[in-house]
Amino acid sequence: MSSLNSTRADLVTGVVFLCLGLAAFIGSVRMDRLSERGIDPWTAPGVVPGLLGAVLALLGLTLALRSLKPAEGEKAPTDWTKLRRLATTLGLCLGYALLLVGNLPFWLASMIFVFVFTTLLEHDPADTPRRRYRKLAMAAILAAASGIGIHLLFQELFLVRMP
Amino acid sequence: MFDSFVHLGNAFLSLATPTSLFYVAAATFFGIVIGALPGLTATMGIALLTTLTYKLPAEQAILVLIGCYVGAIYGGSRTAILLNIPGTPANAATTLDGFPLARAGRGGEAMGLATASSTLGTFVGVFALAVVAPMLAEFALGFGSYEYFWLAIFGIIIAGQMTAFNDPLKGWIAGVLGLLVAMVGQDGIHAHARFTFGSTELAGGIALIPALVGAFGFAEVLTVLSEKKAEIASRTIGKVRPSLSQLWKYKRTIGRSGLIGTGVGIVPGVGEDIGAWVSYAAARRSSPEKEEFGKGSLEGLVAAETGNNAAIPGALIPALTLAVPGSAPAAVLLAAMFLHGIRPGPTIMLEQPQFVFGVVWMVVFATVAMGVFGLLLARPLLLVLRIPRERLMPVVFVLCVIGPYAITQRLFDVWVMLAFGVLGFLLRKMNYPMAPLVLGIILGDLLDKNLRRALLLSDGDFSPFFTRPVSMILCGITVFMLLVALAPVRRSAGRLVSMAFGR
Repeated sequence: MSSLNSTRADLVTGVVFLCLGLAAFIGSVRMDRLSERGIDPWTAPGVVPGLLGAVLALLGLTLALRSLKPAEGEKAPTDWTKLRRLATTLGLCLGYALLLVGNLPFWLASMIFVFVFTTLLEHDPADTPRRRYRKLAMAAILAAASGIGIHLLFQELFLVRMP
Repeated sequence: MFDSFVHLGNAFLSLATPTSLFYVAAATFFGIVIGALPGLTATMGIALLTTLTYKLPAEQAILVLIGCYVGAIYGGSRTAILLNIPGTPANAATTLDGFPLARAGRGGEAMGLATASSTLGTFVGVFALAVVAPMLAEFALGFGSYEYFWLAIFGIIIAGQMTAFNDPLKGWIAGVLGLLVAMVGQDGIHAHARFTFGSTELAGGIALIPALVGAFGFAEVLTVLSEKKAEIASRTIGKVRPSLSQLWKYKRTIGRSGLIGTGVGIVPGVGEDIGAWVSYAAARRSSPEKEEFGKGSLEGLVAAETGNNAAIPGALIPALTLAVPGSAPAAVLLAAMFLHGIRPGPTIMLEQPQFVFGVVWMVVFATVAMGVFGLLLARPLLLVLRIPRERLMPVVFVLCVIGPYAITQRLFDVWVMLAFGVLGFLLRKMNYPMAPLVLGIILGDLLDKNLRRALLLSDGDFSPFFTRPVSMILCGITVFMLLVALAPVRRSAGRLVSMAFGR
């Protein structure tokens, strides 16, 4: 992930912040000044967001300009194992929180998530079949315990209506 | 003065109940475990516990959160010493000397000394909390909108600069981003919906707890799983008991680091991690054994662990008296206080003086529990470090999802958590500090209301911002800090970092 530290990333994020700041500024300028309510113009809702938008745009511009200078040092090679693990984690977490939670009972969604997560991320092709079964069994126990445990904790003890 | 003693006594009596003692012991232990687990930080532990203690009475809930805070900042030292990875960001400086000591088979000695220094550091800070908080509150009673405006600006500038001291620009961007996040939703004066794009969910604003659970929980899950696995330094740790003669030898370092840590803690948004670094750098500068630093110096370890724990009570001082958090964990604590109907701010010494002194005792109780657990449970705590992260992190993520949901019971907060998690992860990978972002979300409302109110009062005249005495001072410091951040002085800050890292 060291590629994210590069000046190129700074250039891109600098431009993103510049655009975000400008968007906030324009949105604030066009915001309702509530003149029909006869408020003092200095207290219009857009005053502070407008200023902040302008400041962010300025900081973004500075960052982008600064990153135009030639980069120092060598770029580290991309670590694909790391990236693959990251993508798996991100995919599983988003899939669970956006698709499963709310559509399945919470305990079931959590059990599936914990089981799949542990199994996939602990998977090692070098494992013996025996070790693999042990890992699967551990994942199943952990999934059942955490799914049911967290559900009971929140529903029965904290009286939360679960999603 | 006499009143203070009465409040202090009353606060002690109301807290010294078996229930409270049980809560503080359990919470501190939980905090130590959270801190020791790499990837689980104090901020995240407190944020998750806020959701778990939502139904408790206010005082008990805050007691639990403070126990977790104190425990976690200390617990992270275990991981720093044994695994060479800071359990929480506050223990980064501890790794420099802690890990070499553990590799040399002196892990137990290092852990014992870290426990003693953390305990003493917290006591230095808590003394300052008891003395400074009431004075600061009284002083802040004279603050008007002009002063609050400068306080917000000062907080963002200094937090942005100190938490990212090799690149203040990124710290400021994070801070301004946080301020802008706070602009979403109804404004505090006219209740006009801003940047809501017609969404009723956004009109309620972006709540701090889901944002924090995302930025410190989900983002950490992503970070931890993409990093390499760490190994325990040595299986032999030796005895975990600090010797009094050693502590006496480092009394100056402990005193200095305690004061530095507390002072750094008071500065808005600048917390335990910087407290440890600055203490470490100062100890190194004045030590006769400079060359030992970074190779297993006991003095370096003492400085770092005293400095980070002293910053805890320090960070609570502005949180209680100005409603401006001194660190990221203190920001969550502040949000939790508001959730429980406590109103931190300059009037707290008039409205709820006993609560302030209650907090003093809460920190003291938690510190005692921390010291006892730290010395007695050294070996069981080693087991915690052996939990595979592939099994821990999915459970943590389930808690990250259900925690924010439990407070408001709306799925929107889960989406906020996810968004801040991904955003936090990306920003962190690009070396943006998270503390100014959090501070920005809290200070946004303060800045917004007070700037507009001030302009209304002065009828658009800007001069009171520069002529009122306190405003003038805050403005002066802010401008000074901005100037200091420019290139030449940044180079010397860079030297400070390289000095702390032992080059």
